Amino acid sequence: MSSAIEKGVDGKHPTDETDQVRELDHDEYDPIGTAILVGIYFLILVALWIFMYFIEFLGNGPTVTGVLLTVVGLA
Amino acid sequence: MAMRNAYIDQFPEEARVIRAALWSSFLALMIGGTLGLIQGLHRTNVLRFIPSQDYYTVLTAHGVLLVITFTIFFLVGIFTWAVTTSLDRGVKDIRFTWGWYAMMSLGTLLVGVSILGGVVDQIPMNADVLYTFYSPFQAHPAFYVGFVLFVVGTWLAGFDWFRTWWAWKKDNPDERIPLPTFMALTTMLFWYLSSIGVAISILAFLLPWSLGIIDSVNPLLTRTLFWFFGHPVVYFWLMPAYMLWYTMLPKLSGGKLFSDPLARVVFVLFLILSTPVGIHHQYLDPGIAEGFKFIAMTNTMFLLLPSLLTAFTVVASMEHGARQRGGEGYLSWLKALPWRDPAFTGMALAGLMFAAGGFSGMINAGLSINYLVHNSWWVVGHFHLTVGTAVALTFMAASYWFIPQLTGKEIWNRSLGLVQVVLWFIGMTFMSNAMHRAGLFGIPRRTAEPQYEGFSFDPAVGTVAEIDAQVALGAALLTLSVYLFITNMVLTTIGGSTSDAIPDNTYAGTLSGPEDSPAIIDNLKLWTSIAVVLVIIAYSLPLASIIDAGGLFGPGIDPWKPSVVVDPSLVLESVRGVMP
Repeated sequence: MSSAIEKGVDGKHPTDETDQVRELDHDEYDPIGTAILVGIYFLILVALWIFMYFIEFLGNGPTVTGVLLTVVGLA
Repeated sequence: MAMRNAYIDQFPEEARVIRAALWSSFLALMIGGTLGLIQGLHRTNVLRFIPSQDYYTVLTAHGVLLVITFTIFFLVGIFTWAVTTSLDRGVKDIRFTWGWYAMMSLGTLLVGVSILGGVVDQIPMNADVLYTFYSPFQAHPAFYVGFVLFVVGTWLAGFDWFRTWWAWKKDNPDERIPLPTFMALTTMLFWYLSSIGVAISILAFLLPWSLGIIDSVNPLLTRTLFWFFGHPVVYFWLMPAYMLWYTMLPKLSGGKLFSDPLARVVFVLFLILSTPVGIHHQYLDPGIAEGFKFIAMTNTMFLLLPSLLTAFTVVASMEHGARQRGGEGYLSWLKALPWRDPAFTGMALAGLMFAAGGFSGMINAGLSINYLVHNSWWVVGHFHLTVGTAVALTFMAASYWFIPQLTGKEIWNRSLGLVQVVLWFIGMTFMSNAMHRAGLFGIPRRTAEPQYEGFSFDPAVGTVAEIDAQVALGAALLTLSVYLFITNMVLTTIGGSTSDAIPDNTYAGTLSGPEDSPAIIDNLKLWTSIAVVLVIIAYSLPLASIIDAGGLFGPGIDPWKPSVVVDPSLVLESVRGVMP
């Protein structure tokens, strides 16, 4: 492995307000906060998709022509 | 005091080339950003001081300078840093490195002057063809020649990095490719593959046509070849930003990269999937069968995967940093992140905006729902979140870390840097959100005066005036942000004093390293072969059908039909031709 990566965390960075207070290795770290944020993002996407249904099919009328899809669009 | 170990101390020669590349990038950002303000004020009819026909010259320059010059000059600088730092060795021959930089600069100059000819009478050139340079728009040959020189310059830059890697591999035959180099190489591989499209479009068709050697071109063919390159190029802008999110953001957060193997998988997926998707820009083009568009859509939807993987890995790495800095709880660890550091905050906000851009991208990618937003201001809103923020804001933020590395000087004013990145985020929130909404009720893009007599747009919520005001305000804030950035960079470079407190030139360590992934991930030949096969599947039939229907050089001159089946009507026609 290259020497650069061995140096690891850059503790000397001048803007690090608070220095590292503990070392968490792979097995000690549980990214629960990330799971929550990803979950929130997923819910936002679902809500926006539902919102798009109203804009696409109910707001502007059908934009895809064809018997079946037109009926769906008018529904 | 410990000896300083910044990039400039390790690689002084390379640091000079990277500085030159970054300054070329910043100059393009300043000019392109200013032109953006002119457009924003003109379109919204807040302030019009140029004739509307000149709007398209300004639009062309804004597009080309920002999405080609600004982004790619920054990319070549950062990739040179990435390869030399992670392989811990300099480039093979610095003259060659200066050579590709000079070639890219000459290309930019030719393109820039030919566009400028649109508004300066003394320059007998014209290239008001917009960034996409679709035929039948025709530019002066200098525009096309300049574009080719620029692209060939990037190819040579890629060769520079590859041969640095080959030399390293000879000395380290059993080592895994260091992650930053892996990212640079996989990005270059899909760039080589995809830029063939634009090279053929220019060298075989547009340039000979502009020189008068051929009379006409097939517009659908040159468009399709453009998008063969035109979608992968967006990942070419994005991959250096991803590289910075993976290798710098965890470190600035005070942590380590969550997973090196996941990062590699992401870049492999981009290598495989970047190119066979370009037809999704042509969902409304007649002359391409729906089935081919469906294949492009399927590939595009697969491309969401690496970006969603990135969202997880990068946020998990930031959380690791926050918890090492003492952060606790389900979400309150967010407060432990170094929000006063402009490099960190800029990149984090850029990532947040990219998540929003991900949604509008999913809409664009859908074959039927795309009809709703196609060619509307929505699309402009979308790419100002992606290239205009995820990429541009990340690059500006990263400069607060890189410029000290490359000059040995402290940033002139870090607080101003923090104001600058936040201002960009606020300005883009106004502008991009308003553009998205405007697109939903049909306000078009690429139009100097989207105000029509006897017709008014009818927004479901709010008014057109309110949307225009938000766009103008956003554009003003963004331009102010660009000027604050440039001021900070100029004063750092010319005014700052050399400092020993510059941090070491390192990138993030990993919680799970490359040894946790199978070696096949580093098999670049395998992934490149798969990428080529997918391109053949996605493009061979559409291209054959386009040429068959419209001729290789369009309908203007005798079309050459490479039809594999003998067309009976053609035979009949030629028989008639020779009959008395």
